[in-house]
Amino acid sequence: MTVLSIKVSDISKSFKTYNRDPGLKGAFKSFFNRKYTNFHALKNINLNIDEGEILGILGENGAGKTTLIKLMVGLLHPTAGNIKVNDYTPWNRNYDFLKMITVVMGQKNQLWWDIPASESFLLNKRIYQIDDNIYNQILNEMVELLDVKDKLHTQVRRLSLGERMKMEIIASLLHRPKIIMLDEPTLGLDVISQSKIREFVKYYNEQYNATFIITSHYMNDIESMCKRVFVMNKGKGLYDGNFLNLIKKINPTKKLIYTFDKNPSNETINDLRNEFDFKLENNMLIAHLDDQILNNLLKKLFEMSNSQSFSIEDLPVEETMRSFFENPKNYL
Amino acid sequence: MFAWFKKYSSILRASIITALEYKANSIVGLFAILTGLFIEYLIWSMVYASENAAYTIDGWTFNRLIAYIFLSMIIGQLKSSWVTAHEMIMQIRQGFMNQYIVKPISFFSYHLMNFIGTNILFYIPYTILIIIAPIIFKDLIFINFIQIPFFILAVIMSIYLSYSIYFFMVCFAFWFGEVRALLAAYNISMFVLAGQIIPLDFFPKYYQNIIDYTPIPYLIKFPVDIAMALEVNLYQWITSMLIGILWCIIMRSLSGIVYNIGIRRYEAYGS
Repeated sequence: MTVLSIKVSDISKSFKTYNRDPGLKGAFKSFFNRKYTNFHALKNINLNIDEGEILGILGENGAGKTTLIKLMVGLLHPTAGNIKVNDYTPWNRNYDFLKMITVVMGQKNQLWWDIPASESFLLNKRIYQIDDNIYNQILNEMVELLDVKDKLHTQVRRLSLGERMKMEIIASLLHRPKIIMLDEPTLGLDVISQSKIREFVKYYNEQYNATFIITSHYMNDIESMCKRVFVMNKGKGLYDGNFLNLIKKINPTKKLIYTFDKNPSNETINDLRNEFDFKLENNMLIAHLDDQILNNLLKKLFEMSNSQSFSIEDLPVEETMRSFFENPKNYL
Repeated sequence: MFAWFKKYSSILRASIITALEYKANSIVGLFAILTGLFIEYLIWSMVYASENAAYTIDGWTFNRLIAYIFLSMIIGQLKSSWVTAHEMIMQIRQGFMNQYIVKPISFFSYHLMNFIGTNILFYIPYTILIIIAPIIFKDLIFINFIQIPFFILAVIMSIYLSYSIYFFMVCFAFWFGEVRALLAAYNISMFVLAGQIIPLDFFPKYYQNIIDYTPIPYLIKFPVDIAMALEVNLYQWITSMLIGILWCIIMRSLSGIVYNIGIRRYEAYGS
């Protein structure tokens, strides 16, 4: 059996756009004299993805994440460069390639709005030529996992956003694709639905060794699903590697909260201040320090005092990534 | 072939189910054609009323003209895929086409099936109207039984040809974004130029000569001519049918070429 691989080589994509002044005057002016410019959405992106990986694509709005996904599924033709999914070029839209992939995009639904999701599933069954037994087996498995069995025969327009997204995912996976691209799969969903979808992705990946490519603005999504991330900024690739390593690289500090059993003496505090940077609130010491320094502080605290309690925390991922995107050059 | 049929018949099925969801729209749609027919009847009855019973315009008696209009309106309605064409333009412009091109289906055939499925409810009353037409328009429509299969084939050809022409125009949305004005211009001109509201015999001879070199006569005139022929002319019908099929192939190929070039410019807007 061929091992699946995706190779993105020097991909660039530009869009022709134009700006116009606001108002009616601007509209008339633009009608007669429109000045076009090229917007470079992607600039020389290189990326290799292996079978069974869950890759998270990170970046701010307009970084080029969705454009990259659209190129990988063949929705767009590149301005330069190439993509190969095994031997297929996505934008040639070979039917065998299309049977191998699927894409779920937050706002572009494939379900028919006026009829129950079960009818759209039947349609996909015919389009992908899925055998009856396999179809029933996959459908039963997924409706159970995503907990939407009782909504199968409800009109799509009457479903909640979360139920609709789950149905979208089921419709996309009925033909058991090997490559699954999810663009903001948890956007606008409540925490229970978000976690259900995350668990489902992990299950599906382990069970079928499917390759997932996911974009999300929720760092919790990325943290819980993706070991590897590809970080983009203004159309360029900034980082390709392990997500936790990136977090450590951006913010190597940890937070220590140490509660003294009784108020510490001034002498103890002054002694500690000579070596470490921390805040003191009543009998609680709070410090943000690198691993090694934090260990030294903790060692010293144990020598000098008794603790009522203490904890060591990583900084929230959301916060870390926010400071990264504010100025990525500082960290890479 | 069987897999192809199963694939596209399922789109037809889903379209029929969708059409049945909206009862009021379907019922109003069934009677929409009768309004146009009634208006034309009133206009022409006023034109002919001032003359004697044997009065003809370019050889057309009142009854024959009404029979023509009756058939041309039904065929015009059956072949009219402008609603589907508008949807396709919106899908190209707003990026909703994404859902089709990532699937192993043809955008052309998908929407053809969708168009037929949505309109299939109208086919039932129109078929009934055509069945009772020879009784109302005695000795004017379907004088010979052999006309019926040829008429059905000619109507199917008209539907396919008309859809291919619309699809060809829709593809220009890849370049210009909005091309509904082009469709509107085509619709209005076809009402007259294809003979949907008056027979082409009323037009000057030079116009008729020109349109013989275009696919236009195969949209309305050809099927109506078969239904209203006073004598069977198999040789002419088969020849015209072959030319019509050739036009279908030409328009389908042209639209395919324009689509394949245009899709490279598709920008898949939105996420």
